[in-house]
Amino acid sequence: MGSSCPRPPGPKALRLRLGCPLLCLLQKQLPRRQEQQHFPSLDDKPQFPGASAEFIDKLEFIQPNVISGIPVYRVMDRQGQIINPSEDPHLPQEKVLKFYRSMTLLNTMDRILYESQRQGRISFYMTNYGEEGTHVGSAAALDNTDLVFGQYREAGVLMYRDYPLELFMAQCYGNVSDLGKGRQMPVHYGCRERHFVTISSPLATQIPQAVGAAYAAKRANANRVVICYFGEGAASEGDAHAGFNFAATLECPIIFFCRNNGYAISTPTSEQYRGDGIAARGPGYGIMSIRVDGNDVFAVYNATKEARRRAVAENQPFLIEAMTYRIGHHSTSDDSSAYRSVDEVNYWDKQDHPISRLRHYLQSRGWWDDEQEKAWRKQSRKKVMEAFEQAERKPKPSPSLLFSDVYQEMPAQLRKQQEALARHLQTYGEHYPLDHFEK
Amino acid sequence: MAAFAATAGGLLRLRAAGSEGQWRRLRGAGLLRGLLQPESATGVAAQRRRVAHFTFQPDPEPREYGQTQKMNLFQAITSALDNSLAKDPTAVIFGEDVAFGGVFRCTVGLRDKYGKDRVFNTPLCEQGIVGFGIGIAVTGATAIAEIQFADYIFPAFDQIVNEAAKYRYRSGDLFNCGSLTIRAPWGCVGHGALYHSQSPEAFFAHCPGIKVVVPRSPFQAKGLLLSCIEDKNPCIFFEPKILYRAAVEQVPVEPYNVPLSQAEVIQEGSDVTLVAWGTQVHVIREVAAMAQEKLGVSCEVIDLRTILPWDVDTVCKSVIKTGRLLISHEAPLTGGFASEISSTVQRRCPECV
Repeated sequence: MGSSCPRPPGPKALRLRLGCPLLCLLQKQLPRRQEQQHFPSLDDKPQFPGASAEFIDKLEFIQPNVISGIPVYRVMDRQGQIINPSEDPHLPQEKVLKFYRSMTLLNTMDRILYESQRQGRISFYMTNYGEEGTHVGSAAALDNTDLVFGQYREAGVLMYRDYPLELFMAQCYGNVSDLGKGRQMPVHYGCRERHFVTISSPLATQIPQAVGAAYAAKRANANRVVICYFGEGAASEGDAHAGFNFAATLECPIIFFCRNNGYAISTPTSEQYRGDGIAARGPGYGIMSIRVDGNDVFAVYNATKEARRRAVAENQPFLIEAMTYRIGHHSTSDDSSAYRSVDEVNYWDKQDHPISRLRHYLQSRGWWDDEQEKAWRKQSRKKVMEAFEQAERKPKPSPSLLFSDVYQEMPAQLRKQQEALARHLQTYGEHYPLDHFEK
Repeated sequence: MAAFAATAGGLLRLRAAGSEGQWRRLRGAGLLRGLLQPESATGVAAQRRRVAHFTFQPDPEPREYGQTQKMNLFQAITSALDNSLAKDPTAVIFGEDVAFGGVFRCTVGLRDKYGKDRVFNTPLCEQGIVGFGIGIAVTGATAIAEIQFADYIFPAFDQIVNEAAKYRYRSGDLFNCGSLTIRAPWGCVGHGALYHSQSPEAFFAHCPGIKVVVPRSPFQAKGLLLSCIEDKNPCIFFEPKILYRAAVEQVPVEPYNVPLSQAEVIQEGSDVTLVAWGTQVHVIREVAAMAQEKLGVSCEVIDLRTILPWDVDTVCKSVIKTGRLLISHEAPLTGGFASEISSTVQRRCPECV
């Protein structure tokens, strides 16, 4: 009808050329979409199964936008004042005090355990300085039974869930009280009771696992969300890509929580990615995404709360990229002055710290003052020191525990190895520090 | 007319030439050859592509598990999966292309029967498939993951070795992924070349915490797969793909178990112990028959069945009796699982080898 482009023959044209009986045969072989199509209009939409889009006849590459990227959602300014009152979650005093106590107790524990490593009492430690807001804000927005998969810098989540200091210490010391039976390096916490899956060292491996757990929760109609924490460095792993894609295609109730703290050991974000951070990747997978100020505990709380509500209600994943800064070294094996300036670190410590911002909020509400601060510092330090001294005195688990739990039941070959070790220790035990271990 | 006669003659010759009794499906090609070439030349062109280097030996019909049905290997697998999904409401099957029935038809009919939330496709990503499966298992649900070919299991190696195998140990038994089973087609098929033929069991044998199982037949496969699925440790189940259609025998319809970590002496003998697993068991059986006939040598044939943890006692007991051990596998020689078996046997019974 005036179109100069030849169109594929419609059913009428085919009938004329091939005769009715053959057409019936052919129609069965035509793709279903053509049978349902009405060809008369000039509608010229692409029919590819792979994408839903319009045609364009101008050659244009999409410019990735990294100059003005996804905006950072915040509730408080750097002085702890609410910016937009309608975004204030209006949490009760007790709850906000719990936020504050969790973050500061974590900070105190970090200082003492970092020192203990320097003194040779524990082998290794990783602090959470500067990221306490990401842990506590998100943990507070979840149900206590929501399953947590972490990377290694999320101790505040456990702290918020009232994991006792004794057990933090037990794991770092690898003593008999450690639920993990002393098998892993420090900070590889796990707690079944508090639904915190044991940390493992390989990065990003938890991401597709969290997705599987979320799928199972969906099938079980558990009304549970799974939250999966990882850093911006781990987000470069293939497992992250796998996890995002599976979560979206399999419609899983999961929150992906990325702590973008500026560094993966010594590697700054400029060497980790070239796009607009991690939040910008979400839409590429079909995932609802947001970027928040990770040092604003209320922004983290609001975003996680809403993500949780919708993830469970709609069975879809949510991606939260919490921007923050790693104030401490990567670990006790790292000296970050080798790759960043002391001024940079000081800025974040002094000018934009989640703990100070919350304290200013508390003080401006009249819920906290300098006297309480002083008393709490003393009290929290005392609690940590007591737990620390107790942990030091306990023995390590029995060497026989080297062989159990490899399988649910101990296979014959492992039992033989266990017996061989026992015989070896009988003869040569004097060469081993057996006094420090349970029998 | 002459052309037609030549064609018919060509067809008849081709049918006669089928030595293994398999109906030749290249009728079209035969027709073409008949038309284009004189009869005398057709004899040379009629050479069939021989894919199997062995003959599958079915075991006698099992009597103790109730009614049986003739099944090939992939049907036996389907039966095991069907039984599992029927009795375990948490069980799910996932991987590439499992929804329509799978590239080897192991999951045919299961999605229609159990629903799309229980039998579903995943994106094309092995590390994702295994990681996702681990996560399901961590919650206590039963996860049956399919890797399309064992040759492609390597992207998932980190998840298997660093995560699945160590989950229970590293958490002090707070968490585990024991209800995970990974299935993958395994071994040579004739035309598979480098990337559709591998036997990677040796890589996984070096990994405490997982179990590795290879069946030799449909009956063994169903029982072993059911044991893997029910086992409280993550298991890898390798299915000899050449046997999917070639192996046919009577298999019980109801569920039953073949125990893990137990080798089976399938033929007793006194002069030498022959150990194999999967497809090679059938080759070794023929070798045993040839040795008896041509050399008067009495062979004891053992199907190892479980690679990890393997049944050291059965193999050693046999070698103590015969004094000689021969292990045969498709996988490369250096670092192959035969080296683990031979070094362990030499350590355990040094006087008898």
